Amino acid sequence: MKRGFFQPRSLVAGLIVVGLAGCGGNQDALHPASGAERSIADLWWVMLIGSAIGFGSVLFLLVLGWRRRGRKTSPPSNAKLETTLVVTLGVGIPVVVLLSLFVYSDVFVMRSTAAPTPGSTRMTIDVIGHDWWWEVRYPGTPVVTANEIHIPVGSAVNVVGTTADVIHSFWVPQLNRKIDLIPGRTNRVLLEADRPGRFRGQCSEFCGLQHAHMAVLVIAEPRARFRAWLANQEKPARPPATGEERLGLRLFQTQACAGCHTIRGTTARGTIGPDLTHLASRGTLAALTLPNTPAALRSWITDPDHAKPGVKMPALPLTGSQLDALTAYLGSLR
Amino acid sequence: MTAAGLPATASSRPAGWWGMALFITTEATLFGAIFSTYVYLWLRSPRWPPQGIAPTKPFYPLLLTALLVATSVPVHGAFRSARAGAAGRAVALLLLAVAVQCSYLAGQFVLFAHDLDRMPPDRSAYASTYFTMLGTHHAHVVAGIALELWFALRLTRGVNRYRLVGLHATTLYWDFVIVAGLILVALQLAPR
Amino acid sequence: MTAVDLPVGPQRVERLERIWTPRPGVLGWLTTTDHKRIGLLYLFATLMFFAAGGVEALTMRTQLAQANEKLVGPGTFDELLTMHGITMIFLFIIPITTGAFGNYLVPLMIGARDMAFPRMNALSFWLFLASGCFLYAGFALGAAPNAGWFDYVPLALKQYDPGSNIDFYALGLILNGASSTAAAINFIATIFKLRAPGMSLNRMPLFCYAVLAVAFALLLALPALTLDCIFLELQRRLGFHFFDVAGGGDPLLWQYLFWIFGHPEVYIIVLPAFGIATSIIPTFARRRMVAFPLVAMAELLVAFIGFGVFAHHMFATGLATITLVFFAAASMLVVIPSTIQVYAWLLTVATGAPRFRAPLLFIGGFVVFFVLGGLTGIMFTAIPFDQALTDTYFVVAHFHFIIFGAAVFPILGGLYYWFPKVTGRLYHERLAIVSFWVTFVGTTLTFFPMHIVGLLGMTRRVYTYEPGLGWDAYNLAETIGGFTLAAGLLLILGNLVWSRFNGEPCGPDPFHGGTLEWTVPSPPPHYNFAVIPTVRSPYPNWDRTDAGYDLERGGLVLDAGHETPSTEVRDARLEEILSMPSESPWPIVLAACVVLAFVMLLAGHVLITAVFGVLGALTLGAWHLHEPEET
Repeated sequence: MKRGFFQPRSLVAGLIVVGLAGCGGNQDALHPASGAERSIADLWWVMLIGSAIGFGSVLFLLVLGWRRRGRKTSPPSNAKLETTLVVTLGVGIPVVVLLSLFVYSDVFVMRSTAAPTPGSTRMTIDVIGHDWWWEVRYPGTPVVTANEIHIPVGSAVNVVGTTADVIHSFWVPQLNRKIDLIPGRTNRVLLEADRPGRFRGQCSEFCGLQHAHMAVLVIAEPRARFRAWLANQEKPARPPATGEERLGLRLFQTQACAGCHTIRGTTARGTIGPDLTHLASRGTLAALTLPNTPAALRSWITDPDHAKPGVKMPALPLTGSQLDALTAYLGSLR
Repeated sequence: MTAAGLPATASSRPAGWWGMALFITTEATLFGAIFSTYVYLWLRSPRWPPQGIAPTKPFYPLLLTALLVATSVPVHGAFRSARAGAAGRAVALLLLAVAVQCSYLAGQFVLFAHDLDRMPPDRSAYASTYFTMLGTHHAHVVAGIALELWFALRLTRGVNRYRLVGLHATTLYWDFVIVAGLILVALQLAPR
Repeated sequence: MTAVDLPVGPQRVERLERIWTPRPGVLGWLTTTDHKRIGLLYLFATLMFFAAGGVEALTMRTQLAQANEKLVGPGTFDELLTMHGITMIFLFIIPITTGAFGNYLVPLMIGARDMAFPRMNALSFWLFLASGCFLYAGFALGAAPNAGWFDYVPLALKQYDPGSNIDFYALGLILNGASSTAAAINFIATIFKLRAPGMSLNRMPLFCYAVLAVAFALLLALPALTLDCIFLELQRRLGFHFFDVAGGGDPLLWQYLFWIFGHPEVYIIVLPAFGIATSIIPTFARRRMVAFPLVAMAELLVAFIGFGVFAHHMFATGLATITLVFFAAASMLVVIPSTIQVYAWLLTVATGAPRFRAPLLFIGGFVVFFVLGGLTGIMFTAIPFDQALTDTYFVVAHFHFIIFGAAVFPILGGLYYWFPKVTGRLYHERLAIVSFWVTFVGTTLTFFPMHIVGLLGMTRRVYTYEPGLGWDAYNLAETIGGFTLAAGLLLILGNLVWSRFNGEPCGPDPFHGGTLEWTVPSPPPHYNFAVIPTVRSPYPNWDRTDAGYDLERGGLVLDAGHETPSTEVRDARLEEILSMPSESPWPIVLAACVVLAFVMLLAGHVLITAVFGVLGALTLGAWHLHEPEET
């Protein structure tokens, strides 16, 4: 039996790759995790089959032409028959097909992907696009987070989106279609996961230098888990427990950090960058660009431009021990 | 004449006429887009003009537009004269049209300057669109005056087919500018 | 050409030769008003821009071949993606189809000696070349446009793009638009008024129908883009408010105006390709086009309906349901004229006696790509599908199948097809067939995987991506495809260059085509036709060779000067004889004044801009001082 592909080493390597990918979740539109996306995926498969048939008819005629290449002269033409054929194939059949597609997609499927009307869902989440991160708010609570959205499985969630700067587009392929985030307007999309999971999304409207590194993670979890998460997020930041953490907090408040970031429960009230109150509860940094590990956090603070060239966050000239303190404090903000 | 001795009957719509007609089509589309922008932003605004800007007073714009419409008479008259061979009369009518149109422009420039004072274009979309709309039309009026002056100059040397087709094209151009001017003043004065 | 071949006496031909011989040397080319020379100037310039756009594409593809590649950074990548789009659309495909193919062929196909406005024709070329240099000057100064080819606001506003990148974009496109507008006016006036006697509208070649549709579409679409760019510059430079909410404007205003231009633009791109296809197919299928009147009407309808579908580029912006549904329905409607044409083309080949020489192979490739691209286009009329897959590589696949597959393939086929007419030599057939297959495989390999990777969630305009999302292998394949495609194109270029010097000499009609260009020697004399033809069907060369019809029955030699006949719009009855200008310096001088005015405007020197404006006006005066001779 051929063992090549299934050797333990390559399997482990594969798992690591998948695991890293799993860190961010899948972005596959054809792996739906919601009713809305399922109807879009079904629509795709139907259209694919229809297209194959249509293309088949064209291929048939092309092959027919190829087979006629031996002819010396054209046979006499029957203009009436030809016109009838052209009208049937070129007008008649397409009209029927397009009409059916129109009714199926633009009347029926559209209903399941339509934006929820305000007040029609139990839960609303506000998403505000920034260059190059996502501000996430849970109205009715003090919760403000970034780049990671938790929702309860099986619940209809109305995501209300807008932008603080340029046009962005919020898209989580496995859950629903995209909505553009446009200055001065709000657009709404329904997120209703029918199974637990981690679903990756990405900004889908070119928004500048780091458009490629503006991903978002939607975590659908059982209702109890979600409520626990939300309750934790509502609390203000954990006070520092060790001396190092206390130093870290002091640095945060006195250095440039507090000018851009908020940590609820401290004097840091900046609104230019993401809210960091529960930074350590998030799996990634910089909109899924880096894993949320002490080493990555350290390198991010030292030189954000390295991972995300052009990012708005400036590099801070800190000493090694200052960095230790800062990362220790931020690492404690679960 | 042609080598075959065929008589060539001069077309009433030669290529030069078509060239101007097509140019007008594209310029009319440009005006259509500007007018549509004005209306689009108007419909999206809670107040248009916005708070703090008084609507334009109608008297002078309407008077000036009437003046502009009136120049249609000497412009068409000039073409008819030239077609009949009366180059001198054509030149005189063209110069008359130019004089009136220049007064129109002078009046418009005074209003323009006055409006710039009371509503700077870099403060509101209303003013931005207002001045862009008016400025585009004034630029077209200047071009039209230049055309008339050119033909007045050329016709002093007499009429020929080339100049006649060009003058015909110029009258077509002025018809367009006048129609655009009517729509312009309507949009300028409509929001109250 | 021997004395025996001449349709008229040798003295008259000699007189025609003398009257129409161009000025020699470089000066002759700089001051030319001959549509054939202008067509060739366009051809060389557009092929250079095609190469530039190709290098931009291959650089991007190399950067994307692997995840987290560091070949180019995001700033450079953004300039590359923007300039690739701008170059391919404004500096390659529109000018090559209208400026190169259109200019060279339309007068020949309608039996005229030149375009209606030869000097304005030259002006179009010099303005186009200037606009291309203007846009690329941005690259040289490190300030190339970088907000995507559709340049959405607020990203393109001063606040987010403070350098002069976007100013190059806006002013460059206004300049380019002026060139295309002048060309459009010229084509319509020429097609309306300069057709040979007897060539009523229903006897006009289908290629000319395509050019007519394109020209009208340009006239009606370009102003929206020009205005958008004017608004953008006024906002960026003078602080006007059109696109910002705070000032009472609306960012979607940019999108509406852009797509009112942008959608007709894609029909402007593809219609001439249809025209080339409908020229090649009857020749190589050896029969007249099936349902000719339906095809002609369909070409016009595509352009017309194409104006009513533009908001389908904005389905994800939150428009009202009724708006979405209206534009989806209109987008479905515009499919019909295209399906009419596809089946007409296929039936013509299938019911004829086809010879699959290189030009017809390229048309075969064109049909395959056009149908596939059209099918994915139909998918996008399903609003929820569009709202899911727009701005992903799925749409990149769709439009590249259409733009590359359906617009460029006919151009490549057309280059081979008319190469003998322009040069008097045949291309190398075997190499041409190989070049087709390499290009076909390369195109498929480059753009087909993009459908898959888009469905897997890869968004467009990203300079890099994470590994492990399932995108890696497809991206690598696309890059390999890109280089394969480049190899195919180089083979085509090599074939044409080699054949230019070593190809077998050929006569006027190597493929037995039906239209008028095949009745004149290869290459055509400067005066095109010694005797202006009198036409009685859409296939005058077949009438002459197969049915013995005498095209020269009208006897119009017109050797008293630089002359061509002007006919009535609908039925092409002779009206008058036009005296055409020959070489003139004013077009290039005027173009220089205009581009210098734009440069000064970019730099912010308003007074000097005005100076160049005045110089331009004076040039126009000098231009019109020279009047045609009266007969």
